[in-house]
Amino acid sequence: MDESTILETRDLNLWYGQNHALIDISIRIPKNRVTALIGPSGCGKSTLLRCFNRMNDLIDSSRITGEILFNGNGIHDSLADVYAIREKIGMVFQKPNPFQKSIYENVAYGPRIHGVREKKALDRIVEESLKSAALWDEVKDRLHEPALALSGGQQQRLCIARSLAVEPEVILMDEPCSALDPIATAKIEDLIIRLARNYTVVIVTHNMQQAARASDYTGFMYMGKLVEFDMTTKIFEDPGEELTENYITGRFG
Amino acid sequence: MKKEQAAPVPFPGFGRLQRPEVGADRASAGANRHLTDLIAGKLLFFAALVAIAAVIFIIVFLLRDGYQIVLETGAWNFLAGQNWNPAGQNPAYGVLPLIVGTLLVTALAMAIAVPLSIGSAVFVAEIAAARTKAAIKPAIELLAGIPSVVYGFFGLILLTDWIRIAFDQPSGSSWLAGSILLAVMAIPTITSVAEDAISSVPREFREGSLALGATHWQTIKNVVVPRALPGISAAIILGMGRAIGETMAVLMVTGNAAVIPDPITDVFSPVRTLTGTLGIEMGEVAFGSTHYHALFGVAVVLLFITLAINSASRIVISRIQGPQGTARPTAHRALVAAASRIAHAVSAPFGGVVSPRTSQRCAFFLISLSVVIVLAALGMILFGIVVNGAGAISWEFLTGSPRDLGRAGGIFPAIVGTFYLVGGGLAIALPLGIATAVYLIEYTAETPLTRSIRAAVDLLNGTPSIVFGLFGFAFLVIFLNFGISLIAGQITLGLMILPTIIRTTEESLRSIPGSLREGSYALGATKWQTISRVVLPPALPGILTGAILSIGRAAGETAPIMFTAAIFSSRYLPSSLTEPVMALPYHLFVLTTSIPGASTQSYGTAFVLLLLVLAIYLAAILVRRRYNREKVM
Repeated sequence: MDESTILETRDLNLWYGQNHALIDISIRIPKNRVTALIGPSGCGKSTLLRCFNRMNDLIDSSRITGEILFNGNGIHDSLADVYAIREKIGMVFQKPNPFQKSIYENVAYGPRIHGVREKKALDRIVEESLKSAALWDEVKDRLHEPALALSGGQQQRLCIARSLAVEPEVILMDEPCSALDPIATAKIEDLIIRLARNYTVVIVTHNMQQAARASDYTGFMYMGKLVEFDMTTKIFEDPGEELTENYITGRFG
Repeated sequence: MKKEQAAPVPFPGFGRLQRPEVGADRASAGANRHLTDLIAGKLLFFAALVAIAAVIFIIVFLLRDGYQIVLETGAWNFLAGQNWNPAGQNPAYGVLPLIVGTLLVTALAMAIAVPLSIGSAVFVAEIAAARTKAAIKPAIELLAGIPSVVYGFFGLILLTDWIRIAFDQPSGSSWLAGSILLAVMAIPTITSVAEDAISSVPREFREGSLALGATHWQTIKNVVVPRALPGISAAIILGMGRAIGETMAVLMVTGNAAVIPDPITDVFSPVRTLTGTLGIEMGEVAFGSTHYHALFGVAVVLLFITLAINSASRIVISRIQGPQGTARPTAHRALVAAASRIAHAVSAPFGGVVSPRTSQRCAFFLISLSVVIVLAALGMILFGIVVNGAGAISWEFLTGSPRDLGRAGGIFPAIVGTFYLVGGGLAIALPLGIATAVYLIEYTAETPLTRSIRAAVDLLNGTPSIVFGLFGFAFLVIFLNFGISLIAGQITLGLMILPTIIRTTEESLRSIPGSLREGSYALGATKWQTISRVVLPPALPGILTGAILSIGRAAGETAPIMFTAAIFSSRYLPSSLTEPVMALPYHLFVLTTSIPGASTQSYGTAFVLLLLVLAIYLAAILVRRRYNREKVM
């Protein structure tokens, strides 16, 4: 792989209390590509995703060893600012979680907390973000209605727009389609592919077809270990490990 | 400025800014928000520390002075002594008659209230048409807010007379009068909570039973009520807590003789309760005397009763939340078995003999009867007060000062005094309570320490208001030498509502899903930004409801202020915080119990107090209803 790396882990280990959830993970996430993480439930793929923007800090019992580098700098360095890291590495969650605010305020929330106050600038950010998330046409006439009135798929695209509004470099997606119907899922997948022109996307998914369709690279995880990581075409057509092959051909998991 | 430098500098390598015109704005926001975050966290921590220290201080203060009586008379003499006579030649401090009095009054009250309440709850939840339900449910919740001194007033002028005449007794002030009054007071609380429990039984359970051809009544009896039993038990425990903690109403109608009824089933015997004793004797006790310590001993006994009730309700509630379908512990199984046995016993006379249809008709008749009794009793009280009270209202009554010991003139100083007391209490409790709850929920992990803090808060939350009165009197009025003053009353009321505000705020914060917090953090928000912009706004209606209910409670309470802040019949408003103040509930209490020939003014005062408190509760109901509607959207 000679692509430039944006995120990298070196010998990453993570424990939740006594539970050793991630074991010696070393992975290099290429810039401006879509990377999918696949594997059976409980294999640690979501946990790994939450390491990249230090969301595991919020879980009291979690403990980490090893290194995580973002653009070559350690995100656990004493000088690193966790809030600035999350500004640059956004996240979209499994279940859409819009705030109890209007559609506009949901998108404007991020820029606001990072100090953007001008109404004009906010208006433009909101419009751009909603357009990038392919939601603008559906909501442009009702920006000030409650976000919770949107459908599930619209809510999830709103959450994507919300994370785009703070201009991240990386967007982490934790099974973003698992709560959605097939049509909404197709829309989000289209969106992911388009986003990859300007952003790095890391997506955790249960859905093998989704990984095959939407991603450039795929990592297969099993029991807390990264079993294999390569170009998606390689993983799906000619996997290097028997375990990977068994999983993607549906022989277990 | 050192702090600003100490805040973490933005991560090196984050230079990419696509929109330079907003870039300068952002860079300066970085350092500021770290500082804000730091300061907010520290402020919340100190507020929580103050509130928690106050909670623990009250408990320790009561225990310490209460322990003295054990040293002075011995634990056995105090707890099992049959004679309570602090003023006699040979003072005796046996608390047994008071405990027995409390238990008897409460037990009979529950025997009256529980069947009527559950009948009403079943009616509202299962039988009433949607429109009837929409009218009755908020009405019952409103009734739960009527101040106890209003009930006491009613009991004193009508109930005791009725008992004296109807049962041909020398005096109507009796165990029976106390129990009837407490039952009427507890019914709205029990009905309201039990109705919630019954309504929340999923519809599939009913459909499953009805699809087998069961009648509506068979479904209610065999499926719905057993399923709702934990919630119903919690409702009964809550009502019991309210009955045990009640001071003013029982003090006004039970006769207050510290005797154990002889025979023990003589419901016409006067009795005296633990709370009543504090209410009667606190004002005249000498600081540091054996009598003083004995009263603290009484308060500690009340504290332990509260603890027992809290533990019982915690066990019941953990059953609700416990895994469904797995084997339940024996206590719960025994409860269910007992309940179904009672249900069968009730229906047995109809059971085998009559058809299910007839038995349903009988059951529904009894249930409807209980609703009629409840509505008639509460309606009679309200009607009496409104009809007689409205006549007493005049411009002079509302804006004038009392004359001739309240027999003439108005109650303006009492109205304003009530606002002063409640406003001051709220100004103390609201910021402290909300900050404490935010700190406990958002900043601390669930540890044994936070669990014990929560237990202490719960303990004070259930503690009878008169115990706060005792604390305020002993610590603020006497020890800190504030005297009977506005400030002492405000602090006492503030401490009384603090646990409620902490708990309701905690519940409200807990109902905000963690995914919203994660969503905010994932955008790079600081902790304080997340709390203030994402967590608090949706939690606000819940916090507000709790605060409004606390205001209602504080406005109607007599026990905590009667020895800390209130005076009777003052022509003037207090000019400073150190002066005593008039208050509506205390004014009503003194008018009713000590001033003959002031019944018009009593009715008028009761009417104004009732309107005030009901308006406050109505506001709470409206806030909640609006919030619920928003949630549906």
